[in-house]
Formats: sequence, C-alpha cells, structure tokens
Amino acid sequence: MGAQGVSALPLLVVEHPLGGERPEAIARRAQQAFEQLHALIAGSGTSDRTEPTDRASGATAASNRPPTAEADLAAPATIDIPDDPIAILDAFTERNWADGLPIIAPTAERVSAMLDGRDAAKSLGIMPPLWRQVTLEKLAVNAVMAGCEPRAFPIILAAVEAMLDRAFNLYGVQATTHPVAPLLVVNGAYGRQIGLHGGSGCFGPGFRANATIGRAIRLILLNVGGAWPGRYDMATQGSPAKFSYCIAENEAASPWGPLAEGDTVTVYGGEPPHNVNDHVSTTASGILTTVCDTAVSLGSNVGWYFSQSQLLVVLGPEHARTIADDGFTRADVQRFVYEHARLPLGRLKLAGMWGMHDWPAWMNAVADPEALMPQVPSPDDVFVAVAGGSGKHSAVVPNCTFSRAVSRPIKPGGD
Amino acid sequence: MGQIRVLNPIGVVKAQTVAVPSLPQSWSGRTVGFLDNTKSNFDRLAGDLGTMLRERYGVAAVVHRRKANASTPASPELIAELAKTCDVVFAGSAD
Repeated sequence: MGAQGVSALPLLVVEHPLGGERPEAIARRAQQAFEQLHALIAGSGTSDRTEPTDRASGATAASNRPPTAEADLAAPATIDIPDDPIAILDAFTERNWADGLPIIAPTAERVSAMLDGRDAAKSLGIMPPLWRQVTLEKLAVNAVMAGCEPRAFPIILAAVEAMLDRAFNLYGVQATTHPVAPLLVVNGAYGRQIGLHGGSGCFGPGFRANATIGRAIRLILLNVGGAWPGRYDMATQGSPAKFSYCIAENEAASPWGPLAEGDTVTVYGGEPPHNVNDHVSTTASGILTTVCDTAVSLGSNVGWYFSQSQLLVVLGPEHARTIADDGFTRADVQRFVYEHARLPLGRLKLAGMWGMHDWPAWMNAVADPEALMPQVPSPDDVFVAVAGGSGKHSAVVPNCTFSRAVSRPIKPGGD
Repeated sequence: MGQIRVLNPIGVVKAQTVAVPSLPQSWSGRTVGFLDNTKSNFDRLAGDLGTMLRERYGVAAVVHRRKANASTPASPELIAELAKTCDVVFAGSAD
C-alpha cells in the first residue's frame, strides 16, 4: 500500500482460513474484526497488522519466515561480502535475495556489462505486489544473479514489458494461491542465436539460456516485485516451474509457422506442463482427443473465470506432423480443442471453484447437467505451439484463469 | 579472503503519499460498504460484521457488492459507486 502512496490504511485481519469454515467460526471471525475496528476507532489499535494468524502456514524456524517489506527497503544499495561462492550464497540467502540456489555475484562490472550501455535509471514502470520501480539496473542485477549472458537481456526486457501489460494481470499472478508461473515462449532467430532451446528436453533441464532467462524472471518477480513465498506470493504449494520457465518454440518442426512472428517473447501465466502421452493414434482426431482429455479436470482453474481463460497446447514434433498430415491447420487444432476440451455442467457443480465462478449470462443459464461447457471463450484462446524432440508426447499448459497471454517484440539493439 | 562489492537486487519504491482519512468516531446514521472479493464465506463475514455495525454502532445502511472474481481488480464503476454511496468501505482481501 505504501508503494502506491497509501500509508496507514486500516487493516482488520481475521484468522485464516475463512473458506470452508462453519457459520459459528465465521461469527467468531466477525467478532475478531469488530474488536480490531473498535480498537482502531478508540486509538488504541494499530494499522500495522500484516502477519495474520495462519495455522496452515507451517512456518517455524526463523530462517523460513518470509522477509518483511520494511527490511527489504532498509538494505543498502551495495554490500561488501567475502569473495567466496559459499559466502556469497549465504549472504544472499540470509537477506532473502535469492531463490534457494547459488547465484552469480552482481558486481558493478557485471551489471554494467549486462546493461550494455542502456540507461540504468530508466524504469519500465512499477511491479506488483509491492509496486516497486522496475529500473533497468535492478533487472540487470537480477539477470546477472541468474547467470544470464548479456545477450539474453533483450529477451528479459521484452518479457518484463509483457508482464507489466494490464492484460497479464501480474498482480494476480504474483499474489494468488494458485501455482501459476509466467512461461516464456520465445520465437525468432535471435532466441536461437543466443542458445534458447526448443528441441528435446526443452522444458528442462540442461540449457543455459532457457534456465537462466527463466530464472532471471523469477528473481525479478521476487526481488523487484516483492512477492516472496508466504509473503505476498501466497501460492499454497508453489511449483518447480516457478524456479525457471522458458523455452524456444521449435519453429523448424512446426507444420504451421511460428506461434508469433519475428523475434518475440510471449508470456503466458500457466501451470507446469501436463504431459500428453499418446503412442497409438495415427490421426489428428486421436491425438487431439488425448490432448483434450488431458486439458480438462475439476482441479484445473481454466474456465472458472471464463473471460480470461486460455489453454496452451505444446505439440511434440511427431504429434504435430501426424495432425498436419491429416489435413489440420493450426486453426483446425484450435477449433477441435475449443469444441472438445469440455466438462459436463453436472461435473463442474461437484466442487472445484463452483459458486465462485465468473461466467457470462449465457453460461449461467445452462441447466442441462449433461451440457458440455467450454473452457475458453473462443478457439483463439487456444494457443498452439510446437516444441520438443523425438517421441510421442505433447503437453498442455492450462492458464491460471485470471491472466491473458501477452507478446512483445525483442529488441536486440536496445530501444 | 578478499572482499567484493555487490549490488542490491531489491526494487525501490518511489511514491507520493496520499493521506488516508481517519476512521469516523461516530458511525451512527452512516452507510458502510463491503467489497466482496468472492472468496468463500466473505459474504457471511460481511453479513455478520454488518449486523454488528448496525446493532452496536447505529450504522444506518449496509451496501454489499461483489467483484467479478477474486483475482482481478474491481471495475472502476464499482469503485465509483461505493465511493459515492458509502462513508466507509471494507474491502475483502486474500483468502
């Protein structure tokens, strides 16, 4: 709140969780809130209650407690530490400046090389949830830490610009209990030139550009945005994809051309990839039926907030070739998935997010429990990319339901 | 062992301060609003708290509005409506 210029906003903090509790427990929480309000009005309460009681958090040791926003901002612009890999890791870990893994020390020399003549003070805007300035210097510091080569920096800049687009809803992506992570899908020659990999094992591990660019994005979200696990990043369980999530599309293997034209990065708020294992189908219909069945589940977030729901289908090259040889264009794939990646209304009513859903009027008016409900608003909300190597596997990446993919051009030569 | 100087990776905040009005001392006759973030049981919490505010503070009216969903901001129109009609708004946040 302070970063958006609002200080001392009164907060009433009730015991967590609220969802799933019985009426008498809710009444007790209302009483808690009323007592806090009464104290604030009387002048005896404090508006600085930012640590709710949470019996589910599991945090015990001091080293596992999330950092405070105040401690973050009190740290000096530079620190002097022993020039030793373990000491560097210790220093960054105890300050909650790293992601749990060793980092490359961000010396002024390395940061300058990463900036490559760009204006360090230039800001791309403010990043939620703590609304901190996204200066090129801070982006470069985190890119160095991640192990990026300077030639990766234009991709990082484009990805950050994309995430700051309102349509991506970075605040929601950062703060949610959902395990969403920004997946970067990079198109174009520049990505290939710097070593981004879209072939075998593209989702990991093994490729420096993929791993470090994805990691830089996470460090930026942690350190610049301020979303630390358990503090503002409220992902219940997180995910391995939140360490690093970046691939190149395998454009050479795509029967339909690239996901995006030119040197482009597309940022998509998604779950980790769900494997689509189809070793037997010899038709488009067969493979895409397996894709569609994998794409829908009661536990998926896709479809609940309908207007922002999207699906990403990452076809392995062999599956893509089979589908294309069956006469399918990319638009045909999109249409098939849109029409068949559905669940019956009666099943959706069982659990998941039923009752919290945000549907248009026509969907809310459907009464037949056997009616198959679409997961996304249109075929255009099904993205089809090709990546991977040999083998009869593809992947579906469901989005978080409250963020839309955004693409930005990569500018290798700077602004 | 030698020392190296490293840069702080934390983003900085630059913002102008907006003064938050104090909570009213008297709530009698006032209108309070609840901006429901649609998370489970916020409506019940708002209902219970609204009842307490009527009974114990003499609040005259309670306005309850829901966002479209929990994960995107409230619409400008919704915020404008609450700002226009309410003296105090309780905005539901988190879970």
